Amino acid sequence: MTDPFAHHTPAPQVPHPASFRDPAGFVFAIDGVVYRQVNQFYSDRYDHLHRCGLYDQLTEQGLMVPYTEASIDLAQSTDACKILLPRQIRPISYPSEWCPEQLKDAALLTLKIQRLATDHGMTLKDATPFNIQFDKGRATFIDTLSFDLHDPARPWIAYRQFCESFLFPLYIHHYAQTGTAPIAAAWPEGIPASLTARLLPLKSRWNTGVWLHVFLQNQISSRQPAAADRNPTFSKAKLIRVIEHLQSIISRLNTSPQKSSAWSNYYSETSLGKSYLQAKEHLFRQYLNQIEFAHSLDLGCNDGLFAKILAEAAAGVIAVDADWSCIDKLYREHRPNILPLCVDLAHPTPASGFRNAERASFTSRTASDLVAALALVHHLSLGKNIPLRLIADYFNDLTKKYLIIEFIPLSDPKAAALVARKESPTIGYDPGHFESAFSRHFRIERKDPISGTERVLYLLQKS
Amino acid sequence: MTTLFLYIDPGSGSYLVQVIIAAILGGMFWIKKFWRKIRSFFTRGKKAP
Repeated sequence: MTDPFAHHTPAPQVPHPASFRDPAGFVFAIDGVVYRQVNQFYSDRYDHLHRCGLYDQLTEQGLMVPYTEASIDLAQSTDACKILLPRQIRPISYPSEWCPEQLKDAALLTLKIQRLATDHGMTLKDATPFNIQFDKGRATFIDTLSFDLHDPARPWIAYRQFCESFLFPLYIHHYAQTGTAPIAAAWPEGIPASLTARLLPLKSRWNTGVWLHVFLQNQISSRQPAAADRNPTFSKAKLIRVIEHLQSIISRLNTSPQKSSAWSNYYSETSLGKSYLQAKEHLFRQYLNQIEFAHSLDLGCNDGLFAKILAEAAAGVIAVDADWSCIDKLYREHRPNILPLCVDLAHPTPASGFRNAERASFTSRTASDLVAALALVHHLSLGKNIPLRLIADYFNDLTKKYLIIEFIPLSDPKAAALVARKESPTIGYDPGHFESAFSRHFRIERKDPISGTERVLYLLQKS
Repeated sequence: MTTLFLYIDPGSGSYLVQVIIAAILGGMFWIKKFWRKIRSFFTRGKKAP
């Protein structure tokens, strides 16, 4: 095997801060355009990926992001052999923001690619959800350099990583309805078999898949590492059997909400009735007609009613909600220009990984021309005790131009319910405080009461 | 004990697991196939007029 560091030169490199682990190459950006450098160390595998027809098959089936070869003059170091320009995917999201169905699709995509690679004498050397992004509403594999030449006598090197970062979170969700995002956030490199075995209920032991991949794996891997050194032989047929078993398990795991959550029927069962929604939608469409924007962000999107209206006019919509069952519903529609994500705005995804630089924060990734925050501010202000001034500051960080925001006064039953059991007084939550908090960053373009309610809709522009 | 494993290639432990899982799955496949044969022998007998 070639020494991965044999070609290393101290030439200045500007890889993306998340792209340093793989000696095969790295990702870098010039003027916001993302490129991938393939190093000489990887050239034989890169050639094989193309020669064997795997690249063509993966891209024709829409499983992997296609790329073109760019000028080698863009090389960031002397050991470059190719510079690739992939189709650009934006925005980037992380497994800690996905609903269970998104993680399931990412898992099945990984297995499908591994299965196809096996037929072409290749294998995935890693199986992490970070190699997958959602492009045009579908899971897409993005890491060109994950393919290695496969020795049929060896099992899948990434099997354990696959289990820890896909299968185990999905199993925990299947039995406990926890959502998979909190597991991915707490265990970014995957949740170990030993912990998964403790978390799963007793009845799960009757399931063959759980018994084999969780309990048996936990037993064997915690026993004698010397046994692994004997390198027992394997075969392609056995590898296919393991992959197909994982495929059949995962495709049968439950990812949809078993009972409706507090929010999943919010709009269809709203106490204010249809006329409120129609009036709000009418105003919303009027606002959209009078402004110009390309990318938008819908905060607290619920079932995506307004995100879908935004998608009619916008190039891309990021729709976020703290409730995974709402995101699940919207994701299953596979709308090409809506990216649904599970994000709690009181705890948006932080910058993480080595030096806090591998993965960018939610705030830095999602800033958009237009931000919509409908029926949301009262939750942050009254429910989470975040002062209106700080909410205004945060929305100012998130929007580049416009903000469409709804204010729900304390006289509204939904707002009143949030403070009904509070002993401390509610100070500074009224239209006057609201307008003065937001006028520090924005000027009011439109202000319209929503007929039949005391709620008010605003179109604000950054001043 | 656990500190010992920190210095071991994370892929190596999963090799043996896959060998055993593949063997068990192979066994289950043959049992299923055999069971289906037995069942079809009897059901065929029952359905015959």
